[in-house]
Amino acid sequence: MKKEIFEPFNVSDNNFEQCVKCTICTVYCPVLEVNPDYPGPKQSGPDGERLRLKDASFYDEALKLCLNCKRCEVACPHGVKIGDIIQLARIKYSKKKPKVRDMILANTDIVGTMASTFAPIVNPIVALKPVRRIMDSVLKIDHHRIFPKYAGLRFESWYRRYAEKKQNDFKKHVSYFHGCYVNYNFPQLGKDLIKIMNACGYGVHLLEKEKCCGVALISNGLIKQATKQALHNVEAFKKSIVDKNMPVISTSSTCIFTIRDEYPHLLGIKNDEIRDESELATRFLYRLIDSGKLKLVFKKNYKKRIAYHTPCHMEKLGWSIYSTSLLRMIPGVDFMALESLCCGIAGTYGFKKENYETSQGVGKPLFEQIESSKADFVATDCETCKWQIEMSTSLKVQHPISILAEALDVEATMKLWNA
Amino acid sequence: MKFDNIIIGGGLSGLTCGIKLAELGKKCAIVSSGQSAIHFFSGSLDLLGKVNGEEVSNPLESIKTLADNHPYQRVGIDNMTRLADEVPQFLDRAGLKFSGNANQNHFVLTPMGVMKPTWLTIEDFTRFETKDSFPWKKALIINFSGFLDFHTLFIKDGLKKLDVTTQIKNVSMKQFEAIRKNPSEMRSTNIAKVFDNGDALDEFAQKANDLSEGFDVVILPAVFGLLNKQIVSEIKAKILKPLVLLPAVPPSVPGIRSQILLRKRFQALGGTYFLGDNVEEGFFENNRLVAIATNNHGDIKLKADQFILASGSFYSKGIVATRDKVYEPIFGLDVNGETNGSEWKDEKFFNDQPYMHFGVKTDSQFHAMINGEPVENLFVAGSVLGGANALKEGSGAGISLLTSLHVAEQILK
Amino acid sequence: MNKNNSKEYDVIIIGGGVTGAGTARDCAMRGLSVLLVERHDFATGATGRNHGLLHSGARYAVTDPESASECIKENMTLRRIANHCVEENNGLFVTLPEDDLAFQSQFVDACKTAGIGTEILDPDFARRLEPSVNPNLKGAVKVPDGSVDPFRLTMSNMLDAKIHGAELLTQHEVTDVICEQNRAIGVELFNHAKNEKVKYYAKIIVNAGGIWGHHIASLAGININMFPAKGSLLIFGHRVNKMVLNRCRKPANADILVPGDTICLIGTTSERVPYDQIDNMFVSQADVDVLIREGVKLSPSLATTRILRAYAGVRPLVAADNDPTGRNISRGIVLLDHQERDGLSGFITITGGKLMTYRLMAEEATNLVCKKLAVDKQCETAEKALPGSEKSDLSLDNATDKIYSGMSIAQKSAKDRHGTLAKNIAVGDSNDDSLVCECEGVSIGEVKYAIKELHVNNLIDLRRRTRVGMGTCQGELCACRAAGLLCESLEEPGEAKDDLANFLQERWKGMSPIAWGDTINEVQFTSWIYEGIYGLKPDNN
Repeated sequence: MKKEIFEPFNVSDNNFEQCVKCTICTVYCPVLEVNPDYPGPKQSGPDGERLRLKDASFYDEALKLCLNCKRCEVACPHGVKIGDIIQLARIKYSKKKPKVRDMILANTDIVGTMASTFAPIVNPIVALKPVRRIMDSVLKIDHHRIFPKYAGLRFESWYRRYAEKKQNDFKKHVSYFHGCYVNYNFPQLGKDLIKIMNACGYGVHLLEKEKCCGVALISNGLIKQATKQALHNVEAFKKSIVDKNMPVISTSSTCIFTIRDEYPHLLGIKNDEIRDESELATRFLYRLIDSGKLKLVFKKNYKKRIAYHTPCHMEKLGWSIYSTSLLRMIPGVDFMALESLCCGIAGTYGFKKENYETSQGVGKPLFEQIESSKADFVATDCETCKWQIEMSTSLKVQHPISILAEALDVEATMKLWNA
Repeated sequence: MKFDNIIIGGGLSGLTCGIKLAELGKKCAIVSSGQSAIHFFSGSLDLLGKVNGEEVSNPLESIKTLADNHPYQRVGIDNMTRLADEVPQFLDRAGLKFSGNANQNHFVLTPMGVMKPTWLTIEDFTRFETKDSFPWKKALIINFSGFLDFHTLFIKDGLKKLDVTTQIKNVSMKQFEAIRKNPSEMRSTNIAKVFDNGDALDEFAQKANDLSEGFDVVILPAVFGLLNKQIVSEIKAKILKPLVLLPAVPPSVPGIRSQILLRKRFQALGGTYFLGDNVEEGFFENNRLVAIATNNHGDIKLKADQFILASGSFYSKGIVATRDKVYEPIFGLDVNGETNGSEWKDEKFFNDQPYMHFGVKTDSQFHAMINGEPVENLFVAGSVLGGANALKEGSGAGISLLTSLHVAEQILK
Repeated sequence: MNKNNSKEYDVIIIGGGVTGAGTARDCAMRGLSVLLVERHDFATGATGRNHGLLHSGARYAVTDPESASECIKENMTLRRIANHCVEENNGLFVTLPEDDLAFQSQFVDACKTAGIGTEILDPDFARRLEPSVNPNLKGAVKVPDGSVDPFRLTMSNMLDAKIHGAELLTQHEVTDVICEQNRAIGVELFNHAKNEKVKYYAKIIVNAGGIWGHHIASLAGININMFPAKGSLLIFGHRVNKMVLNRCRKPANADILVPGDTICLIGTTSERVPYDQIDNMFVSQADVDVLIREGVKLSPSLATTRILRAYAGVRPLVAADNDPTGRNISRGIVLLDHQERDGLSGFITITGGKLMTYRLMAEEATNLVCKKLAVDKQCETAEKALPGSEKSDLSLDNATDKIYSGMSIAQKSAKDRHGTLAKNIAVGDSNDDSLVCECEGVSIGEVKYAIKELHVNNLIDLRRRTRVGMGTCQGELCACRAAGLLCESLEEPGEAKDDLANFLQERWKGMSPIAWGDTINEVQFTSWIYEGIYGLKPDNN
């Protein structure tokens, strides 16, 4: 009764024909508003797709201005996968080769490995103004950008050295996809996650060699390499989820979004076997609490006003409710949700010199909200949003997991769940 | 995830229902599959404009003449009268100022330059008490150069019939150069975003004031106050002559603002608004809907004591037509209109199209039905209800608002 | 009544279809003074209501070898002279599991005889070449099919006729053929725009009215035995196939899928209809069902592709004079010299044939006209390129690339529609570049050009010239923008409102047979906008 027949033959991918030209997507496109060179989601997406099917030369290189924030898809009343259409068109039709700069920005894990190895040298160097000027003029990486600091001891190394052994003491287990940011730039978030999960009675394990999810490779047009890494990751996830019956959780909304949705939609990689059990840590925790299998005990003295920013990919996933519900559970938290708007960084997009102005223009309304929020800090699930907000406002940004870890009464919680 | 009430559909009907329930302390969630049809809002809410093609002057009185299965008849005339009276304050609490009277339609000028009867009109627009006179004699219509979505000559033609002499002037503004560069984006919302930032407003008002020397009234497209509501009153204050705004081609600026304000009101009352999500499945037990699964939340089901289906008509996919059937796509509810495809439509575009009457069947308390059996805790409201051609009657907004308020009351009983 | 005796033309051509256009061009190029009259607009009859298939002739190779060789010759000619109206995308004749593969060799042989190049392809290779084809195909033959846009082709012929001095009148309906002692000397016309009668005179009158030619002949007291055959087609929302797809079997229902501009279309059905129904073509539910059922066999993805419209055209089939039952019907060209046939001089009829052979029909008709007028000039229509397709030292691409650097969607679309004539469209100012129709990339500049240069009287004409309103939304947002522009330069506002209402009615006519799924959603939205918000009525004055 409900589902239509003929599914297997559908070549009208991404529902582009369901577009009824209502033009609502263009109202919510953050780029269009600040950069008129971008043709907008309707024209770049369903309208353009129809023309490109007629003749590939209708492809417009200006599609690279799309942030891939997917806010058009969230707004679309008819389920048109506008963002996917645009990204797929870039993959299929773009003739522009990625630049050296793009490769450096895209290869977050290789660069991360090198940089974190030499962190004491790299950090001060990339922070130096003259060096930033050189990066600006030679690599076209905007000089306003402050590179995230590289950690001296990578998360993976820390884990092997200090955490791995005791994880087997727990009765229940999960795998953790930490992502490049936790590994190279901010191992503390990974440590916070382990603290919480352990308190809840779960051992945390790493995947059998995780690779970067590839989001930056996709957005920079390095599709072959992205596909290779994606296939590797899907296999690694399968080993955990299918073979060992261990779900995979992550603290990065973009990594998990990429693995769940961009792999099948943009790279054509099947992930049916792992999709449902690959999720954000906050969702995993929420499910346990919602079904009565877990209760968190918080410290009495934690008192903060927190403004939550919904990253674009969280908006698309619809999952900010999990992170915000957990934050609201902390008794001392004065919680406010910021109006959901794009911050403008979109991963590596904002790092590119040519996008700097657009990027900051997109983020402006959000920054103004933040400045007037009177919050102690901003909470968000996305690492690149964190860089952008910290660079563009006076507030610091924390991940919900780190906030929970700080507010959690570990011993009391452990008592409840590690009997 | 447990709520008191879950509403499927985030348009006028769903938000009305959600706000009403939340105002009375219910913990509500709205699941909306994307932005709603409020984006095309004309600026006026109709209660009943026509019956059998004849214009109605007293909507509440004329409701009595409607067919028994009309949603208004199912709400009942007493309830209708009481609820219609509540609506302006209800909207006011969300920051939306409307004026009008359910016992007496007033008129608004359409972008075709004709007068249309209506019930409530948002403060941006001008109310007219009669359809055959215009309070001013000399009108200046101003448009923005390159803006194709406002049809000045049509308005001029309409006003001529009301004995108004008009002149049309185009205004160029350097602030619009950026959006004009983009061939598809000289649209009302983008113009509104420029005005929202504030800097173009004074310059434009100055130009309009210079041009309107010797005229009684200035007519402009409604491109003011998308996110910044103040802009509407500012432009009205800055333009010295009386100002009449008219809708442009959708999406509508006052419409989007209304959507945002209603959504914010709902959220401020503690409601949860899930945008861009689709309900995939319902779980029933003993004639009750106990939970729904959505695309985004998967195995984490959304549970509630009562559910309201406010998913809209064909446009919003509240009901779906295929070559040989009409169905309700979420739960497979009983629908009116499961007839032969060739009988869905009239060959004349402007005739009363049978498909416009199609919708979900309910019992007299607006319970949805499956195979003739009412579902105890699943209510239906808004344009997904069949039984009326809201377009021909001019009853779309009324049906959305009043059936939703009525259903909310049923739940609160 | 307006007396218009001052001027006598050499020839009056009745009918603004492609045959009339081609004849007007040919006559004008041979130095005759020409008047062409059309009751509605150019290309409103069968010309604009077919597949838009640039036949290689392969379809007729087995059953009608004469038509087949005519087709391939004209096919090659059109590639030369009407380059901007043609897409050289080639075609496949596919053998499906239920078809007899033995037909393939018979087919290939017949093509060879007719001079049509063929190439038998391995099914695997065919699938790679054309991914939309039914993957279960047993065989495939590649032929030089293509697409041709009949609106552009007609318009281009009209423009060339005009360049050579012809006069063109649309909205002029023939109400009488004026005869004097067994000689046709003129026509009486009703000017629908001005609601008045006018008369024009000529030495020869050419009846190129297609199926309506039956009626026109009867005005001169002549009977032509015509058998209207309705053919229905479906237009899909986007291009599913790159190459023309045909079934490799004897011609039958719904066995050709043609990509054309932004869309593709499947057709046709074939059904005799009574003559009094030819102005009342509608597509029945049964027609739609056949077209979908058969179409899906050619290209399975059609089952889930959005259908934009359904429409039907009437083929002007003519029965041989000695066969009143119409059993022995020819699809070939029929040229009737009514002096010989009926004893009425000054009147000839050109009919039958098909879109592909319009030029040949025009040539034959013009030859006869010239013979009668004792004009001795050779036909040049096969050699000289049509306006928009002129070859300079630059190729089409180079020529237009010189005009535009970094072409926008609108500019590229305009180039596809108007060929080198696109250089006449104003660009560069945002008042010209803004899009009126976002689906098809029609700019203000193009609309203005069409209004000024291409005989546009109303929105529906404008659609035929520019594709305004032919995209997915079928005029939902662009119709009122275009109406606004027409209003500025052509129509009284009151008229423009009615024009807009007519346009929506005309769009609905094609949508209503397939009004389900996304189409019904879209139509509901369109109704809300125009009736709900705008307050548009069928009659606004």
